[in-house]
Amino acid sequence: MSIKEFVASIPVNKVGFKDIFGYEKTPRNLILTVLTFGLLAMFAAGVGLYLLHGHHAYNVTREHPWGLLLAAYIFFVVSSTGLCIIGSLGDVFGFKDYELISKRAIFGSIVTILSGFAVILFEIGHPVTMVIYNVLTPGLTSAIWWMGTLYGLYLTFMIIEFVFLLKGDAKFAKYFGLVGLIIGLAAHSNLGAVFGFLNARPISNGVYFPMYFILTAFITGVFIAYLFMGFRYKLKFPERVKKMLTNLGKIQIFLLSFLAFFMTWKMLTDLYGGMPNRADVAHHILGSWTFWAEVILVIVIPLLVLLKDMGRSHVAMFYASFSGMAGIAFMRYNLIHDTQVKPLQMLKVYEYQLPPTWIHYSPSAAEWMISLGGIGLCITLYYLGTKFFNLDADEGHAEQKA
Amino acid sequence: MARYGMALDYKNCIDCKACESACKEENGVLLGADKHRIWVGTKEVEGEFPFLSISSSGFVPSQCQHCEAAPCQEVCPTNATYYDENGVVRVDADKCILCTYCMNACPYDARYVDDRTMTVDKCNFCSDTRLARGETTTACQNTCPTKVRTFGDLDDPYSEISELLRRRDHYSLKAHLGTKPKLFYLT
Ligand code: SF4
Ligand code: SF4
Repeated sequence: MSIKEFVASIPVNKVGFKDIFGYEKTPRNLILTVLTFGLLAMFAAGVGLYLLHGHHAYNVTREHPWGLLLAAYIFFVVSSTGLCIIGSLGDVFGFKDYELISKRAIFGSIVTILSGFAVILFEIGHPVTMVIYNVLTPGLTSAIWWMGTLYGLYLTFMIIEFVFLLKGDAKFAKYFGLVGLIIGLAAHSNLGAVFGFLNARPISNGVYFPMYFILTAFITGVFIAYLFMGFRYKLKFPERVKKMLTNLGKIQIFLLSFLAFFMTWKMLTDLYGGMPNRADVAHHILGSWTFWAEVILVIVIPLLVLLKDMGRSHVAMFYASFSGMAGIAFMRYNLIHDTQVKPLQMLKVYEYQLPPTWIHYSPSAAEWMISLGGIGLCITLYYLGTKFFNLDADEGHAEQKA
Repeated sequence: MARYGMALDYKNCIDCKACESACKEENGVLLGADKHRIWVGTKEVEGEFPFLSISSSGFVPSQCQHCEAAPCQEVCPTNATYYDENGVVRVDADKCILCTYCMNACPYDARYVDDRTMTVDKCNFCSDTRLARGETTTACQNTCPTKVRTFGDLDDPYSEISELLRRRDHYSLKAHLGTKPKLFYLT
């Protein structure tokens, strides 16, 4: 089969302009539409500010060079890895119950990573240079190099897997899915290593982040799975979906408990012995409201909802997943901020008359707009996907029609 | 080829900031508190009033340490940060993508963003200016009125710096991180 024939054989719905806007005009849908357009406009405005002022549009400084955009990028790629894991449960590992979400999750993983790339494009000072010299003079000891390169590869595999899923070719979808999953996990742990490799920052240094990133990706994937299913079935879940969600809920109980365990030990090791540059930063983190927002939104609220009846309150979990995702956003922000919060100082006790303090950072308007705009991109791409492709499992789709 | 380093007789420093000005002038570093390749640190006076230890206060010049195992070089995704033939840690502005990973990885807070090129910059021992013209000093060394700084080839046993390091006790900053700085503080 020639490439042309292959491409032509991918099932795509014929969609016109009318179909795209031809959705039910319920108040909820209308609000969502306005919100999405608002977010997209924000993205455009943020990019405009960036084009006008360059990096000066951002509030990053010499001491706090990583800002909200990096947190947003991490947020999106974590979501992508998480969705890839969820998607793989069915079509790579063959757990039948999860097959009905595979296609949707894999498509979601493509959408979220594209949005992540769109955000990071405006964070990196010279994206074109990056593409050229990533290839010509690769920094093989750099976690950023591996993360970027592997994510590029991962995206390719996800797209191929998705195409095979659309074509109903389970075998090839499985192969590409498996390789894509492995590359995705490698990429994602490298993203953790970007922080873990910072010998200069004892608070982040070590093996914790590479592993924690995989764990929190899985958790994020489960939250998004609830959101996808909630919107797809308008909270009236068919039996099969209910069964899957209950199972996912049980997995999530395990994952969240594990996360709590992980975080507790991380904090205890950080505090223990009062090691300079680590214990003081840990104290600072414990005293920051963003840390507690993360704990309450990601762990406490969802876990309470899940534990109430072992994951059977699907509608409640749908709402708790919003809490979870908001918490994950805090989690990413905290990660980048906490890494840089302690000045390295280097004898500049008075850095040009400023007394030494914790390093402050608050995102600029452009940073907010591009980051939130990324969410708009996500929603838009996902919505278009639901129109152009059949994201339901084929059987489930038949069931739905009947 | 040389292996350049610098010895700092920091107790002689009088905080006149001549080195900072000379560096900015020589290398065209932009003005502004956040843009500096070298700086003079101020050590706080220790003790509680009135029991202050006058001798504890002091001035400590610092800059890129030209680490032999430079974390900034290790983390750079495009090899924009590299060791030149003289062991000087340099940034190739054409390759730098401004990911700022090196700024986070440098334990010495030695890097900043140059607003003109929007790439990362730092001390390069005047490699683009003086050394390129065949001179063998740096601007900061040349200007220091109390001769705090001695720049030279560590591989040459007869160089002034080798002589100094043989004769005087010295330490390097954050040595426990294993970055092997080539800036030596004479005690
Ligand atoms: S002091 Fe910092 S910038 Fe200079 S070589 Fe070492 S790590 Fe790199
Ligand atoms: S900011 Fe430039 S020099 Fe620094 S790590 Fe990134 S590409 Fe390399």
